[in-house]
Amino acid sequence: MQSKIHIKQTQKRHNQWLDNAIKYILMGFAILSSSFIFIIAGVIMVKGVTPFITNNGGLGRVNLADFLTGSTWLIGESFNSNLYAVGFLIISTLFIAFLSLLISFPVGVLTALFIAKIAPKKLAETLRTVIEMLASIPSIIYGLFGAGIILKLVYDFSTILGFQSKGGNSILSSVLVLAIMTIPTIASISEVAIRSVDKSIEHGSLALGASKTQTHFKVVLTSAKSGIFTSAILGIGRVLGEATAVSLVAGGRRSGINFNILDTTSTLTTMMLEGMKETTGLDYDIRFSVGIVLMIVILITNFTLNYIKRKVGNVDVK
Amino acid sequence: MRKIFLVLALALSFSLAACTSGSSFDDSKNITVYTRDTTSGTRAGFMEGIGFSAAAGSDDVLVEGFVIKDNTGIMTSMGTDEYGIGYVSLSSLNNTIKGLNFEGVAPTVANVLNDTYGLKRPFMWMVRDTGDYESTEIDQLVKAFVAFLGTTDAADIINNNGAIALQTTVTWDSIKAQHPITARNNSNVTLRFGGSDSIQKVAQALTQAFSAKAGNFVAEHDHTGSGDAYKRTQTIGLSDPVSKHVGFSSRYFKDTEKVGVATSDMGQLAWDAIVAIVHKNNPVTNITAAQLKAIYDGTYTKWSDVVSE
Repeated sequence: MQSKIHIKQTQKRHNQWLDNAIKYILMGFAILSSSFIFIIAGVIMVKGVTPFITNNGGLGRVNLADFLTGSTWLIGESFNSNLYAVGFLIISTLFIAFLSLLISFPVGVLTALFIAKIAPKKLAETLRTVIEMLASIPSIIYGLFGAGIILKLVYDFSTILGFQSKGGNSILSSVLVLAIMTIPTIASISEVAIRSVDKSIEHGSLALGASKTQTHFKVVLTSAKSGIFTSAILGIGRVLGEATAVSLVAGGRRSGINFNILDTTSTLTTMMLEGMKETTGLDYDIRFSVGIVLMIVILITNFTLNYIKRKVGNVDVK
Repeated sequence: MRKIFLVLALALSFSLAACTSGSSFDDSKNITVYTRDTTSGTRAGFMEGIGFSAAAGSDDVLVEGFVIKDNTGIMTSMGTDEYGIGYVSLSSLNNTIKGLNFEGVAPTVANVLNDTYGLKRPFMWMVRDTGDYESTEIDQLVKAFVAFLGTTDAADIINNNGAIALQTTVTWDSIKAQHPITARNNSNVTLRFGGSDSIQKVAQALTQAFSAKAGNFVAEHDHTGSGDAYKRTQTIGLSDPVSKHVGFSSRYFKDTEKVGVATSDMGQLAWDAIVAIVHKNNPVTNITAAQLKAIYDGTYTKWSDVVSE
């Protein structure tokens, strides 16, 4: 009897030891993975700040105010000038993000509504799989599609309008590529939000005599608005951060704010990407500064959207 | 099911109609200027070739409203944009677009090799004087590398990296016996390469391939510009860490750079040829350096300016 208790006790002690060991190992992994964000942010910060505080190998410090407000990427010869500016890029980045969300948000949400509420079960399953597959397609594929198909369509479209497009490289092409890219993200997240709306709310609406369509738009969508808003936030995150696909269709504008959707443009990300692999010195470091600007733009956008989301409020959702 | 087919057929016919429409060229249209970004070696070669060196590293001297694309981007854009003009390296030229004759000479590999096609620049090499090395091993390895540059093995690598190798029939296997140093294990030997940055990609591919054939020596690349090919192999002593064993230049050596350099210590390894390209519907077939400069600096903005000449 005593030995049995003894065995049990050692067993228990052993289990405790194992539990503790696992706990610390997992904690180690958690710390490791979360510390990457600080390491990355730290490196970008240090690299990105150097152009503003050092002499840049004789080129002189970059003026921060001019950098943030200017409308020409680089005045003078590259490697021999420090007159960089991203003001116009911030505006065009936000402009493109806004336009693409204008397309992808309604399309995505309505797709989600159809899949979650209206489509027959079989069709809904299929569509859900398709949307999830689309969401996982790498951006370069969308970029290739954009460069191969959308550029041509936009070029022909602007010819019909009587505007001589620059090979289709334009805001419109960028917006279309980004919209196609973000529709799956918005649709799949909205769909989950719509599906998790409490059935009793829906039944209540129907019982009060509202039609199905009235219920879907006025009750289901408004009840799921918090989740739908989250999908928009994630969608805009993807739009702001996308570089590869946009750089293939944007046209690489180097100066001036442009709101003509058929003319060329650039975003913060495409500017970072272009020539990144072949450049050195200040021309390389300044791309890290653009990275900081991009992170700040994304943070501000997210905070604003989250603020609006809280204001919009929430309805009883499971 | 039939409806789906109907929709598909309609969509297909629409897209076909879109593809075939508009084959007449309107020369009153603006020229859309395509260019590589300022870090591109092709851009440097092109701008220098048309006498517009200021635009090699600077965007603000170019015509207003230019489009920046990479090599492939310019190729595909020229397939779409009837009124565009761009430039690519000769090796990527194909029949989806139209490569323009330069000063009356067609852009072909043969015309580059016989030195009639003008829009090109030479890739040159220069090494230190015999005996001016840290050790005889390094001296012999450099000599072996120079011999390797003249082989078909090197020519393949050069051609694969977008340049045009000089004609040769010598294979590395047939001459490697003359360079017994390459049969040794050289993994503790470091060779320093430098000079033109336009040639860096080709040079790195060459040293990588040659290192495997020559006892795995370590190749250190530090490309800073054509001017340093001469400076860092001839005027800077070995004690200086920036001194190089082999320097590359993407232009001919100047007469001042050739003073006191043995003819066996320098030579050409390849050509870098660039072609101005336009859409297939464009009636222009020939273009001059002056016309290209006028297009890129904004003097000519309409195709009629070029066609009427």
